[in-house]
Amino acid sequence: MANKPRRNPRMDYSSVSKKEPKLKPGAKLWIRFSIAILIVAFFIVMILTGAPGLGVAKVSEIKTGIDIRGGVSATLYPDVENISEVTDDQLRTIKTILEQRIEAQGTFDYNMSPDYENKRLLLEIPYSSGDNTNPQKVIDDLGEMALLTFREVDLTENGYIINETTGRIEYLPTDIIVVEGFDIDTASAVYIENKPTISVKFTDIGTEKFSQATKRLIGYPIAIFLDDQYISAPTVESWIKTGDAVISGSFTADEAIDIASKLQYGALPFAMIAKEINSITPTLGESALSVTLDAAILALILVVAFMLFRYRLPGAVASVGLIGLVASIIFWISAFNASITLPGIAGIILTIGMGVDANVIIYERVKEELKRGIELQEAIEIGFKRAFSTILDANVTTLITGGALYIVGSGPIKGFALTLIIGIIMSFFTAIVIVKWLLKALASTKALNSRWLYGVKKEVSK
Amino acid sequence: MIDVIGKRKYMFIVSAVLILIGVLFLLINGGFNWDIQFEGGTIIKIEMANDSYDAAAAESDIEALLGKTVTVQKEKTFNPDDQSNSIALLSIKVTKDNTLNSSEINGVVDFLVQEYNVKADTIPQIQSVEPFIGVELRNKALMAAGWAMLLIVIYVGIRFRVMSGISAALFGIIALVHDALIMLSIYTVFNIPVNEVFVAAILTIIGYSMNDTIVIYDRIRENTALMHKADIETMVNTSIVQSLPRTINTLVTTLLTITTLFVFASIFNVESIRQFAFPLIIGLTSGSYSSIFIATPLWMMWRKYRIKKKILNAKA
Repeated sequence: MANKPRRNPRMDYSSVSKKEPKLKPGAKLWIRFSIAILIVAFFIVMILTGAPGLGVAKVSEIKTGIDIRGGVSATLYPDVENISEVTDDQLRTIKTILEQRIEAQGTFDYNMSPDYENKRLLLEIPYSSGDNTNPQKVIDDLGEMALLTFREVDLTENGYIINETTGRIEYLPTDIIVVEGFDIDTASAVYIENKPTISVKFTDIGTEKFSQATKRLIGYPIAIFLDDQYISAPTVESWIKTGDAVISGSFTADEAIDIASKLQYGALPFAMIAKEINSITPTLGESALSVTLDAAILALILVVAFMLFRYRLPGAVASVGLIGLVASIIFWISAFNASITLPGIAGIILTIGMGVDANVIIYERVKEELKRGIELQEAIEIGFKRAFSTILDANVTTLITGGALYIVGSGPIKGFALTLIIGIIMSFFTAIVIVKWLLKALASTKALNSRWLYGVKKEVSK
Repeated sequence: MIDVIGKRKYMFIVSAVLILIGVLFLLINGGFNWDIQFEGGTIIKIEMANDSYDAAAAESDIEALLGKTVTVQKEKTFNPDDQSNSIALLSIKVTKDNTLNSSEINGVVDFLVQEYNVKADTIPQIQSVEPFIGVELRNKALMAAGWAMLLIVIYVGIRFRVMSGISAALFGIIALVHDALIMLSIYTVFNIPVNEVFVAAILTIIGYSMNDTIVIYDRIRENTALMHKADIETMVNTSIVQSLPRTINTLVTTLLTITTLFVFASIFNVESIRQFAFPLIIGLTSGSYSSIFIATPLWMMWRKYRIKKKILNAKA
């Protein structure tokens, strides 16, 4: 080494040996030792048993992202010319209506979040085993406007087409709207003469409009459209004043239920179209999960083995800290009610490797000081002190990149960023507090203060 | 003591060659292999009862159904329930200009279920992104990387004023750009799709590489005070050598974990994890390498140049 030792080793020996007989500092060391052990134990026990009161689930019950459990995520965009004209209120209304539509189909485990800035809705529906609904199908016609209109028809040749397959007349929508979806109070699917039919009850305003129209149009058809889709055109036989109407058409029972639920829960101001769809098969997610979990366990074992081999006693202490670190990351993911995702587990695996970095920095310092002939307790003290600013600087930069990822990342990548951020903060805490308290207490015992245990030769080299 | 600083020129050449290979492949491939996430397009993967199906027939059938060009490929992946067998997948890829909408996707899936030997009650894997969303995501990801770098420059600049901070930070950033370029080279040479996972990998490496550089800078900061009599070349070399055990040991523990992940993902065919782990292995190695052989020597050369200039000015 080109630089000289900063301290005179002899001075340090004498100063420390003077302190040793005192009981107080020793007691303090062991109190801290116990606290450190308790903190590690706390995290481990927490993830093994869970604490429903604290909103912490045990490790086997933490919710997994749809990339593991399977399911579908979609981004729904308003189908309008100028997206900036969409208001927050409209988006909020659409969200409520879509939620009702999803629930009407028997799906309750889903997550829909509006993105007001970009005027879109993010929808995630996890796959639930035993449930036969295919989440992809749920999304398919979810965003339809379902704007029901009763319109007067154009009886001239321009007003209708003949459906080639059925051979029946289908009216084209005209501009004269008699009543529309907003005027509907309730709608339900019923069987009339063994045919699936939708029974509609109008609101007071709707009843009034419908009454006026039926009075005027006796003997003429009124065509019913769902969005631009022609459904049927019953002929008005009498003046209907009660506000009841039935819609019959060539639909199946399921379609009747579907249309009725759309009418019941209202029409969207405009259609919402899924422009980004991500659907993950549960089997593929599960297989990826089992592979990554096995990899994580082996990675942990390898790092522990390396630390023991390279740093001996401090390596063992770092390993205890590392296990506490992994437990704490899982604990916080659970406490934040975040999901475990595959990139998240990859983040944990990365943290297992990078998390010992702080220990490595400290231990290399301690070894340097020991080689210089400085006494153990003092060397540990110096090692932690000197390494502090290095560790801080190094962690802040990693934190910056983690934060950037968290802000821009979508679901799974957010999971990665979150584990990275928690991992950095917790590894800092583990190295600076937990490992330090454990190591200082252990090094104070006669049985464990051999220089060999700290990775350097027994004799002080001159 | 190992002379790291003295051999810097060879190392610069090694890096330059690696990056040039990447550029070469970029020209050959005609750009990056953007994932559909960043470009738009549709991928559907559906689990088949077995792998004895005709992919070419499926391709022409689906094309007839949609009136759009598609690519159908056979794939397989690890089966957690039956480890001796793998899961047979039929993979359909549609490029950005033909991105499928939700009902087209359901149409294809229903068609396959009816006409082909699809595994009963299977849920297909679907990824479909409209091109404009892909571009939006890509820009956002690039912005994030840019912001992260800027913030790191500012932080390092403040913390390392002794080393005339901003310049130290800038040379650190050059090392980061170096690492990013090496990773991009790997992506182009192995034709790995560039997607969000790639951005995560690059940002992770940026954090790791800067971390590595800072540990060495920190030693230089300390030794600047301790070794003010030594010439700068010796001082910087000493700093590098002193922090070498840490650099190597941390690289070993990190590589141990990521390589384990990569090996598992490769054995069991978990493509997404493998695509994440492989670039990380390269990036981590590059990150440690660039801290020692790029950032620190460059900073030293700049420093030497400044000192020389100062002396000349003083003489004049």
